[in-house]
Amino acid sequence: MNSKDIIRENNEKRKLLNEENLAYYQDMLVYIRLNGGKSEQATEEVLLELLEHLIQAQEEGKSAVEIFGDDPKDYSKAIIKEIPNESNTVRIPFIAYIVVQFLAIISLVNGIVGSGMYYFFELGSSTTVVSLGSGFLIVCINLFLLYLFITFVLKWIKRSTDKKPNKWLEFLQLWLISVVMIGTFIAVSYFMPGFGSEIRFPTIAFAGIGIALYLISYMMNKKLRLTK
Amino acid sequence: MSLKSQLLKGILEGCILSIIKNEPTYGYELSLKLQHYGLNDVGEGSIYPILLRLQKEKLIEGVMKNSQTGPKRKYYHLTETGVIALVEFTNHWNGLKDPVDRIIEQGGASQNEF
Repeated sequence: MNSKDIIRENNEKRKLLNEENLAYYQDMLVYIRLNGGKSEQATEEVLLELLEHLIQAQEEGKSAVEIFGDDPKDYSKAIIKEIPNESNTVRIPFIAYIVVQFLAIISLVNGIVGSGMYYFFELGSSTTVVSLGSGFLIVCINLFLLYLFITFVLKWIKRSTDKKPNKWLEFLQLWLISVVMIGTFIAVSYFMPGFGSEIRFPTIAFAGIGIALYLISYMMNKKLRLTK
Repeated sequence: MSLKSQLLKGILEGCILSIIKNEPTYGYELSLKLQHYGLNDVGEGSIYPILLRLQKEKLIEGVMKNSQTGPKRKYYHLTETGVIALVEFTNHWNGLKDPVDRIIEQGGASQNEF
């Protein structure tokens, strides 16, 4: 069974838990899943095992606290400690997938917004000049920012399992950090001085490149089952 | 960590290897067997970090199999390294249990014999 099949089974089986056990189990699930770089397969296998155990114990009238102890976080830590690290044969294609998809979105937005501005509002120009040196640097900086963003969001979700803050406050925080993130993306491209040899091509071509990259990421995902 | 859980840690690993050696076993079943033999105080959940560690050390392997009653379960069996580790554990344990028993039973009373 692939980790994605196990996740699907977990989603189904979780419905068998009563309210109290479900709340406890879901705390563990979030905490253990956000383990940072541990094998996804091993993580999902142990999560399903814990769920199966809890379901059977529940039938005998036992509670999650009796089985895993008072503190779901403490127990989760003991589990995470023993999960093996993700191997590079799994990690590298996944990172490549995220990078390709990210470039696809940037390219697509650039192409559509850029040519839209020109054709409808006569802003900018129908062609874009790309400086290879600075263009490459911008992409690298943006990928690094994306990495920081993902790391931050994962930490943030993990923290939110400890305290249960107001839903609106959570939304506002996430919204704010996303705005800062997108703003920094744009600022990097805007303020970066151009260097390296220049090539000029129609702005709309970015949309074509974006679609091509998106198709590549789609096929990667389908073939390697990265997210489904 | 309490003295009790420190003591139990190594012993539990040996007990788990020993149970799995007899027949492939899944997590819940394993915890029932431990209780059946009288290890009632062992938190049921405490077997899972141990099972993960034993897998990481390649002493056991888990295979997802259909159980007779329905759900797919992960059944554990010993690897060759696991068999060797179990023999080692059994030897260590046999070398320990009698002397420790004697010390606990006679420790205070036998001081004069030295």
